[in-house]
Amino acid sequence: MFRLFLTPGWFNGYDLLFESIALVVAMLIAVYSWRVYSLNKDNKFAYFSLAFILVSLSLIFKMFTQGVLYFFPVRETVAQVLRPAVGNGLEYADLFYRAGFFIQMASMLGAWLLIFLISQKTRERLKKYFELSQIALFVYLVLLISVISNFKYVVFYLTSAVLLGLIVLNYYKNYLNTGKNNAFLVMFSFLLILFGNIFLIFVYLYNPLYVIGEVLILCGFLLLLYTYRKIVKR
Amino acid sequence: MGSRRSRLELVFDVLLAIQNKGGKIKPTHLMYKSNLSHKLLNSYLEELIEKELVVIEEEPVKKKKRPSKIVRITEKGLGFLAEFRRMREFTDAFGL
Repeated sequence: MFRLFLTPGWFNGYDLLFESIALVVAMLIAVYSWRVYSLNKDNKFAYFSLAFILVSLSLIFKMFTQGVLYFFPVRETVAQVLRPAVGNGLEYADLFYRAGFFIQMASMLGAWLLIFLISQKTRERLKKYFELSQIALFVYLVLLISVISNFKYVVFYLTSAVLLGLIVLNYYKNYLNTGKNNAFLVMFSFLLILFGNIFLIFVYLYNPLYVIGEVLILCGFLLLLYTYRKIVKR
Repeated sequence: MGSRRSRLELVFDVLLAIQNKGGKIKPTHLMYKSNLSHKLLNSYLEELIEKELVVIEEEPVKKKKRPSKIVRITEKGLGFLAEFRRMREFTDAFGL
């Protein structure tokens, strides 16, 4: 069985619940941002919506791949029954997990990268040719990192943490510029997600850190949900 | 110098000027409050009337035989203002 790292057994399933909550939050923000785009036709809202669609996609693939892994005994029994019929084909089962983790990582890194680029205060960004070529380069790096992370998972969380650090910095600047409470809450949400990712880097040393990392990421998404509700319920 | 207002922001400014005057305003006052030329204001008003965000009414004036025209914001217009405020809050919060 292919695994990126070992997680505490008692926590299996709880993380799926956490991801499903994060998924709902990401989809709500994606839908609202798309609604704003349909009103003002400003591209940055479409990109922001796309970023949260990528977060949702990543969470869906994480839930699916992890879910199959957690039901390993069932899967193994089925594999034993099917082995005579399938034969050597079962040896390629790892490819399924690798593909699942690859899509999870590529879409999550792509989402953080897009949010970072959008939160940069440059006028007319994403329209100029050289900025688009920069994005093409970043996309290549994101895909490369996602492939490497399948063999050394730390690379994914490390890259994720770096991008989230840059996002937090941009949101801190945004908070200083606007001085608004909601801007502070958004910055703090991403800070929690950043801390969660930092804990996940060190899971290979001590696997209960996975629980702390997941709880922090959940808190980040819940705070995003609170901020979103605060804005749309005005 | 401030940046140019988008079309949506201009619509917001026009509707806000009406709301701040208690929901109805004279076209001349609206022109000054929203900082628009007469020609531009008329083109925006036409669009707002078409979209049912405002209505033009006639109001009797003392000492004058002819009633004067006023622009009144509709429920739909008030809804647009609320939606625009939410949109702006979202934009500010997420640094967009």
